[in-house]
Amino acid sequence: MTRPAWLAQLWTLAPVLAALLLTSLLLVAFGASPAEAFSAMWQGAFGSQDRLLTTVAFWIPLLLSALGLLVSFRAGLWNIGIEGQFILGAIGASWVALSLQLPAPLQISLEVLAAMAAGALWAALAGLLKRWGVHEIFGGLALNNLAVILTNFMISGPWQPPEGGSFRGTAPFHADALLPLVGSTRFSLVALALAGLAFGLVLLALRNSRWGLRLKALGRNPRSARLLGVSSRRETLLAMAFCGALAGLGGALRVLSWFDSLRQSISGGIGYLALMVVILAAFRLFWTPLVAFFFASVLSGSIVLQLRTQLHSSLGDILTGVMVLLVLLFGNREVLQTWWSEVRSARRTPGRQS
Amino acid sequence: MRVELDKISKSFGPVQANRGISLTFEAGRIYGLLGENGAGKSTLMKILSGYQTPDSGRILLDAVPQQFRSPLDALAAGIGMLYQDPLDVPPFTVLENYLLGQPGGLAIPRRTAADQLRQLGQHYGFDVHPHERIEDLSLGERQQLELLRLLSGGAQLLILDEPTTGISAEQKSVLFNSLRDLARKERKTLILVSHKLEEVQDLCDQAIVLRQGDYVGGAKLPCPSRKLVNLMFAELPRRAPRPRPVAGTPQLELRDLVVRTPRLALQPVDLSLHAGEVLGLAGLEGNGQELLLRACAGLLPLAGGELRLAGQRQPRLDYLAARKLGLHYLAAGRLEEGLVSGMTLAEHMALVSQNGLFVDRAASRAQTRRQIKQYQIVARPGSRVEELSGGNQQRVLFGLLPDDAQLILAEHPTRGLDLRSSDWIWQQLDLRRREGAAILFLSADLDELLERSDRIAVFSGGRMSRLLDARQTSLNELGHLIGGGA
Amino acid sequence: MIFHKKVVFAVLLSLTLVLGACAPAASQPDAAAGEDAAAEGLTIGLILVGPRNDHGWSQAHYEGGLFVEEHLPGSQVIVFESLNPADKPEATVASVVADMVEQGAKLIITTSDEFEEDTTTVAASHPEVVFINVSGDDARTGEAPANLGNVMGRMEDMKAIAGCAAALNTQTGHIGYVGPLINHETIRLTASAYLGARHCYETYRGEDPAALKFDVTWIGFWFNIPGVTLDPTEVANNFFDTGVDVIMSGIDTTEAIDVTAQRAAADEAILAVPYDYLNACDSAPAFCLGVPFFSWGPAYLALAESVAAGAWEQSWDWNAANWDALTDPGQTDVGWLDGPALQGQAASDLHDFIAKLAAGEVDLWAGPVNLRDGTVYVAAGQSATDEQIWYLPALLQGMGESQ
Ligand SMILES: Nc1ncnc2c1ncn2[C@@H]1O[C@H](COP(=O)(O)OP(=O)(O)OP(=O)(O)O)[C@@H](O)[C@H]1O
Ligand SMILES: [Mg+2]
Repeated sequence: MTRPAWLAQLWTLAPVLAALLLTSLLLVAFGASPAEAFSAMWQGAFGSQDRLLTTVAFWIPLLLSALGLLVSFRAGLWNIGIEGQFILGAIGASWVALSLQLPAPLQISLEVLAAMAAGALWAALAGLLKRWGVHEIFGGLALNNLAVILTNFMISGPWQPPEGGSFRGTAPFHADALLPLVGSTRFSLVALALAGLAFGLVLLALRNSRWGLRLKALGRNPRSARLLGVSSRRETLLAMAFCGALAGLGGALRVLSWFDSLRQSISGGIGYLALMVVILAAFRLFWTPLVAFFFASVLSGSIVLQLRTQLHSSLGDILTGVMVLLVLLFGNREVLQTWWSEVRSARRTPGRQS
Repeated sequence: MRVELDKISKSFGPVQANRGISLTFEAGRIYGLLGENGAGKSTLMKILSGYQTPDSGRILLDAVPQQFRSPLDALAAGIGMLYQDPLDVPPFTVLENYLLGQPGGLAIPRRTAADQLRQLGQHYGFDVHPHERIEDLSLGERQQLELLRLLSGGAQLLILDEPTTGISAEQKSVLFNSLRDLARKERKTLILVSHKLEEVQDLCDQAIVLRQGDYVGGAKLPCPSRKLVNLMFAELPRRAPRPRPVAGTPQLELRDLVVRTPRLALQPVDLSLHAGEVLGLAGLEGNGQELLLRACAGLLPLAGGELRLAGQRQPRLDYLAARKLGLHYLAAGRLEEGLVSGMTLAEHMALVSQNGLFVDRAASRAQTRRQIKQYQIVARPGSRVEELSGGNQQRVLFGLLPDDAQLILAEHPTRGLDLRSSDWIWQQLDLRRREGAAILFLSADLDELLERSDRIAVFSGGRMSRLLDARQTSLNELGHLIGGGA
Repeated sequence: MIFHKKVVFAVLLSLTLVLGACAPAASQPDAAAGEDAAAEGLTIGLILVGPRNDHGWSQAHYEGGLFVEEHLPGSQVIVFESLNPADKPEATVASVVADMVEQGAKLIITTSDEFEEDTTTVAASHPEVVFINVSGDDARTGEAPANLGNVMGRMEDMKAIAGCAAALNTQTGHIGYVGPLINHETIRLTASAYLGARHCYETYRGEDPAALKFDVTWIGFWFNIPGVTLDPTEVANNFFDTGVDVIMSGIDTTEAIDVTAQRAAADEAILAVPYDYLNACDSAPAFCLGVPFFSWGPAYLALAESVAAGAWEQSWDWNAANWDALTDPGQTDVGWLDGPALQGQAASDLHDFIAKLAAGEVDLWAGPVNLRDGTVYVAAGQSATDEQIWYLPALLQGMGESQ
């Protein structure tokens, strides 16, 4: 019944490998060479310093969201609303960027704080809805839609660029509002440092804080946790807000470094991608950055893949999707089970309080 | 079928759970497996049923050695087990759960399968509803269902690990009747693991006793209970005398307290419980005593009346607030409501006893070690609670009670404990009450109620009887009141 | 259970090993051939905002690329499709351009106004490569670096023809226009359609032009993004439900004609004018009045030839139709193709209108032209300049608008 520990650790890689195999089959079916395709992807992700930095730049917001999810999952929460929290972070940062003009360090600090606050607030809203009997999956999805609508309203209304008209996004922010970038890439050392900080914070929270212990108890057995003195209301809100703050930070980096303005579809599903990352990482802290990096590399590499092979452009999406599917199918039945019973209980008792 | 265990050994780290145990089980007989908490009963049975593999030793069925890789393997060979802790409840219906265990499984048409299941239930005297959800069933009903699944899976040898701890007296007598039939009429072998000597005497043909991982002897039943007790415990348990009540200030006062749930409404209750006093609640499961206990802890909302803790009126009591006032609740389902699977003892300790932002691991480990010693728990600070034997889990729960607990509310405080452990738990509770704590508990064990309480209240149909003086009343009177008499 | 997993895994593993061993050997030769060809001729990067087979805007560009490959020996077009943050959060114009340059692209065409700003920025960091942004105006305003030019087809005339076709066929006097997002390009195209419709409603049908209802609904983007834009299918249905009997499309995709086909199949007397892509009528010929289309082949070929010859110079091109070959995508940048539903008097009226436009006998932009809020944009007796048309700030008086 018990597998050796090292095997359990490496088991994470099994679905990744299997997905690579399946994608290879697909490639062959399309008449392309898997070896060539994967080498193109490798090139695209790591082929030059700029490319590597671009991959890293894409990885950072994804990582931040995934780190946040580790915390909310620890408390047993399915924070699907992370996508919306990410977007709200972007909006929060944009708000400061568009309305203030301060020296860069101060300006950027304020933007980051506003983003984290906005993300946390959006997440707390899902937490409150849960208290009132709306399961966080449904509350989260609704808030995601609302976040998209809010973005569209802002960029086509109050924050419309002066030349008017376009639905694409706001005008670029002033230079002091943007993160300093390395060379001609979208990579920012500040962003990397923030991600490192966030990792340390999550590590501390989950491994060493009493709060982390309370979340663990709550996530594993809310009824026991209550009898042991854990307030599910308080901790649910806090865990959501913590996750939202990190996602919001991710959203801020997206507008302040990846782009230079608030755009339509600012996230493009990074929140959902982060959900896949933590599931694939089986909720383990040290695997999360690796899996996130793997996802970032695959997607980033698929750009060159498309240019080289001129195959269908969503090969990267297919690869990541297949991978997560495989994880669910045979990598981590536990996850599937808890997810399934969550969804079922959510469907059955929308009014349930916990 | 003749089942032999040949020199079975199993250890968990430093703990030797089974040491070279050899036993034989014959068809058509009912065996009682006895032993104190942590003696290794569950472990031995899990090995026999393929849930765990032995470190060494063999299992032989009709003299053929077997190797079980999983409970399914064992069931295919004719061995089925009902576990002590009900496994996690999957989100299935009764029927789905049943189908999953069938060879051919989901391919069987549902209609046919549902009929099959109903008939099977009738045959063994169980009332089965195929489309109910498992999570909505009572523990007793889940047991019945599991039993049917095992029987239809072809079990010749059935193991029941403490099957009577959580079920009502009625369900128990249904269960025992069908077990007798299984042995007598269908020539099945049955093994009953239990701490209740009367049960074993009543049902079993032969007793088998384990102590600290060793087989220490057996006896044909019925036999004098003394003999079994002597085998079970190296030293005879000392019965602690009941202390004199020392009534202090009121800790808990109820005036016209009303509690309502969809199933049952509790009639207005008046009650006061003083420091140093023990009040026992009697009654068949589901007659209101649980509601009262939970309402007093702020785990259920009040529908009316007044509740005071240490003289303070509590119009909207919440359990988390109540804890701060020194009220503590011990629920019956240890792993379901009380302890958190997957967390270690030390983590539990840190959770309830530390303040501050960070966990002081060294301190919580030291403190856990002290509690382990004081409460004689067979475990290490790093053990996860689900690894402990049932009795040890109960001890952990008590070990987590803070020293300054003023009011202890307990459901079935000694459920699943052996004689010595339960006596010991009561010693601990008596210590607490001497320090001024008030204790309110409910139990299904009338002897325990009579012996441990100062006063007893009996519940029937949501109505509480007058308060009885435990020294003055009798088993008869309790029985009469439980049955709804005045 | 575990045993089972192992088997599956082992099978998968051996399968790939086998595949891995055979596959590369099979496809290496063409890869090498591709590289050789690229080394000789011109490599062109083509960045699409939508999928290359959208039967609309992006496909028209994609086919323009194929046209170049066909007519310029040795040239090769590398395509990157669906570059928008919703579909490709991981890609930016800059990163795709960098990859294309590395692949040897000497001419990079970004085919959406979405890319206008990013193209201007990225062009500055690759001065050795020629960039063309379709539909932008940076080369006109002087914001563009020297290696960036703009191309656009003069679709306004074709939209006027489309509007005319709609007006000649409406029975209810109510035309619906499914608009994308609001910018200068879409405003002037929509206004042109209205001007054409108005002119023909009055001239050929003898009706009061003020009685013609012409309603525009902006969905919010070039194509449907569920949850983000209005759903064009719903917009189209809504038009038909409120009295519209001819619908015009201004978006990149085919919902307008699809909805028309569905509802017309249930005997509703309704018609559609799709947009953008030469073969757009094909999906529902019986209800299609014709299509104003872009054909990027000729313009792209001219660009590619001048870049290949080292003769390219910065310009802002607003290419008018080749009136003599209005239906031939190989000869005109914008065109109009009659649809099978255009019949009888309406067809001859439309051809008369086209002839007059070609001859310059009709000037739709002759004053007075008033904006929607009533302000005079072109005074009576004057005609709009190119600049006035390009930068038209709002829809015109007489048009209905919602979003
Ligand atoms: N999975 C495990 N990991 C570590 N220790 C274990 C595990 N399972 C059992 N043990 C230890 O083995 C010993 C025997 O446990 P077992 O559950 O067999 O006792 P038991 O006789 O059933 O006791 P009880 O009457 O309390 O249920 C105990 O000390 C227990 O802590
Ligand atoms: Mg046991």
